[in-house]
Amino acid sequence: MRKALSTIIGVGRTKFGEHFELDHEDLIEEAGLVALGSAGIERKDLDACYFSDYFLQITNKVGIEEGFMSQLLEIHIPMEKMRSFSSAFVNASNAIQAGKYDIVLVGGVEKMTDRLDKIRDDLMLLEDPWSFYTGCTPEANHELLLREYIKKYGISGDSIENLNIALAQISVKNHRYASRNKYAHLQRAVSLEGVLNARISAHKTLGLYDFAPISDGATALILANPKIAKNYTDMPIEVLSSSSATDYITYPSREDRAGFMASRIAMEKALRMADLSIKDIKISEVYDQSTMLEMISLEDLGFSRRGRAWIDLYKSLEDFKGFYDLEGRVLFVNTDGGLKADGNPLGATGGAQIFEVVNQLRGECGERQIEPDGGLLYGCVHEIEGFGTKAYVHILGRD
Amino acid sequence: MSSEPIERRVTYIGDRLKGSRCLICGREYFKIRRYCGVCGRKSFDRMEDMDLFYEKGVLEACTVIREPTNKFRKIGSYIYGLVSFHNGKVRVPGRLTDLILKDDKDVDPANFEDREVAPRFRRRYAVEKDEIIPTISLTFTFADEYYPHQEYKITKPKKVYENPGIVGYGVYTSRFRIKEGMMERSVPFIDEDAITAAVEAGKMAFIYSGVDHSQVGKVYVGSESNPYAVNPIASKVAQVLKIGEEERSEGIQGADAIDTEFACKAATSVFKDAMTLVYYPKTPTKYAMVIGADNSQAASREEPGGELDFFVGFGGSAFIFGMEDVIAEIEGWYSCSSDTPDFWRRDLEPYPRHGGRFTGEPAYFKHIVKAGRKLMEKLNLKPGDIDYFVCHQPTPTWPTKAAADLGFKQEQCILGLQVAKLGNTYSCSSPLGLAAILDKAEPHRRIMVVSYGSGAGSDAYSFITTSQIKEKQNNQKFTVEYQAQNKYLEYVDYATYRRFKEGL
Repeated sequence: MRKALSTIIGVGRTKFGEHFELDHEDLIEEAGLVALGSAGIERKDLDACYFSDYFLQITNKVGIEEGFMSQLLEIHIPMEKMRSFSSAFVNASNAIQAGKYDIVLVGGVEKMTDRLDKIRDDLMLLEDPWSFYTGCTPEANHELLLREYIKKYGISGDSIENLNIALAQISVKNHRYASRNKYAHLQRAVSLEGVLNARISAHKTLGLYDFAPISDGATALILANPKIAKNYTDMPIEVLSSSSATDYITYPSREDRAGFMASRIAMEKALRMADLSIKDIKISEVYDQSTMLEMISLEDLGFSRRGRAWIDLYKSLEDFKGFYDLEGRVLFVNTDGGLKADGNPLGATGGAQIFEVVNQLRGECGERQIEPDGGLLYGCVHEIEGFGTKAYVHILGRD
Repeated sequence: MSSEPIERRVTYIGDRLKGSRCLICGREYFKIRRYCGVCGRKSFDRMEDMDLFYEKGVLEACTVIREPTNKFRKIGSYIYGLVSFHNGKVRVPGRLTDLILKDDKDVDPANFEDREVAPRFRRRYAVEKDEIIPTISLTFTFADEYYPHQEYKITKPKKVYENPGIVGYGVYTSRFRIKEGMMERSVPFIDEDAITAAVEAGKMAFIYSGVDHSQVGKVYVGSESNPYAVNPIASKVAQVLKIGEEERSEGIQGADAIDTEFACKAATSVFKDAMTLVYYPKTPTKYAMVIGADNSQAASREEPGGELDFFVGFGGSAFIFGMEDVIAEIEGWYSCSSDTPDFWRRDLEPYPRHGGRFTGEPAYFKHIVKAGRKLMEKLNLKPGDIDYFVCHQPTPTWPTKAAADLGFKQEQCILGLQVAKLGNTYSCSSPLGLAAILDKAEPHRRIMVVSYGSGAGSDAYSFITTSQIKEKQNNQKFTVEYQAQNKYLEYVDYATYRRFKEGL
């Protein structure tokens, strides 16, 4: 008998993008109010809050984030702050599972455009100091990963060409999805030529359209004890598993660099915990900070065989029907546009990924609603902190 | 990074690429660790120190960086990747240096991958002018190009000499040149300065001599382009090259380190101090090292002092003095000085000024000729008794004229004359000429070296080579001639030369 750890009864988010006119408090307030509204509860109903932001302390010199929320909402309940939405989500879910709280708000926010001039230095230094000292950039490790992949699997000649096209098509696909997502940062479609030309003009293997943008934004959701979830909504979404794993901070020091060990471990544990097989998952939000990461995540999570994802993708995307055909299996990936086009406000990103899977499971995604054969029962959310340093996988299911 | 304690810790590890090896399972780590991640608690106190400073790595995978983070912006495009050592037992991130990549050209990483690389000691990235200058050795160049990878093998001395003398030496000039007319000059890459040149020269001296670094009791660094007004180059050299007995737990080297300054004779002045130190019977100082290193400064051509801009070079030379396995014994010396202000740089001024024609006859020539004559008188020598003569080389013509004034013939001077190939390397200039002679000299030859430092003074030394010089000459691939005439040299235009000299 499958048992939910906790239940999502409401979700909310802001549009991702450049919110030059808004403070971090404004953003989280907006997302939080939407989530409270969608669950039909008031803030006094909350037992606790779990927040996340990756580096508001650096970008906005914010000290105690929780204090802003207390002042804004006039509530004095326990609040905690984590680094990623997934981390806040896991901790909130654990507390509910332990019986400590019944209703918890999980919220994430990031305000990256307030520090645009220094943001890449900050991001890199936080990702790994020694790589930063050596001249690495937030983009460079993605390209190194691509090189490691090509070398490990001996991809050469035309195959490299096809791999590069497959990666470009991921961007085209994610932008196409984002054009149907009113919250997305980049709501315009891009062409294959556009993606390839950006690489050519930069004389780089991955170009502007291969990477997620720098975004502001906030997301929130309401987690409830499964026993009381039905009191608030007819369509609670169950958290069937939530797991994570950790890897070295310095990417070059890792033993296997053609993928992320943390993602593999997290997914294996998540499936085992949810008592599901990979075949049961029809939709996955994967952490596509770059097109390369979307591809490699399909392998790390077990959707594609190792060394094969680029072939699956190349074939699927040549004549795209909205889903990946993974050797006969159907998988919808990043239907909100992914980090690539929906946006990537770090501390809020995981919330947007959960937001999408929840709405897809509820059948509330409008024109980008997916309808796989046999119905949509389970979805998977995959979030990463750093460059594969931490990976989280949550499996959500319909009641 | 504006935190000095962080800077100290990063530098302590990163300059020397210090790591640890588990004595139980053999696993290796970059950065010092107290226990092995695999063996756990039982490996406490079973970890041995290792470092990658003299090692050779392999660039396993790389990518080109066109848009660096802010701190690396001045470098422009560069190759970043991961470098493995010891057959993949340990991997580190790395940046390729000494490489100018054009922004409008494709770079295929495959052309760089799987090639052997050697760590280089460089500035890490740009900081504000009032901050500590960050350095690191996670910068690499190809081991089979301009800078060859060479092993450092400590050798046991075979013979004790009666007189102190030169035990080993090393010269470092960069792979970039500016060529104007007949003259070529060494140009630093943008991440180099007098500090990095001093360390590289010292490294070369250890490779040449096989001297045990822990036996060196004192290091002197003479320079007039130390990027700091206060903070020695010598302490950095001592730490990076592990000079003297290491007090490991505190990260201290048991050696004296001192910077000296006297325009272009800052290094040669203390040759005699180093030799008397190793000769003094009551102290256990086995070796002393003297380094002259300069990123020779010059105002740009349209400004006062800009005449220097036609002649300045970049380089470091290091000499180890001792009593054992000497390659050139000291015969005698003479130094002179006078209050002649022919070339100077006031504090806080970036570039030196000089007294035009006043720097010639009453300054340069007067002191060099005086010192050279006096030493010959003292030792009862005639110019014909001296096989090789070398003096300070600010331009190609002056040292030739000074040598002629002293009665030397062209063939006695030709080996030491390097200014036309490498430029005026200031404190490194006459030592570099001496090194060029030692690179080729036969045993039992007499060498006279006369330095000149503005302000003003000269040091004259007479050395006689020993029979051991021949065997040691084989220890060094990176000779002066190799550096002066190398197929991997890259010639840069005037604007690049100025930008590189200005540095990060």
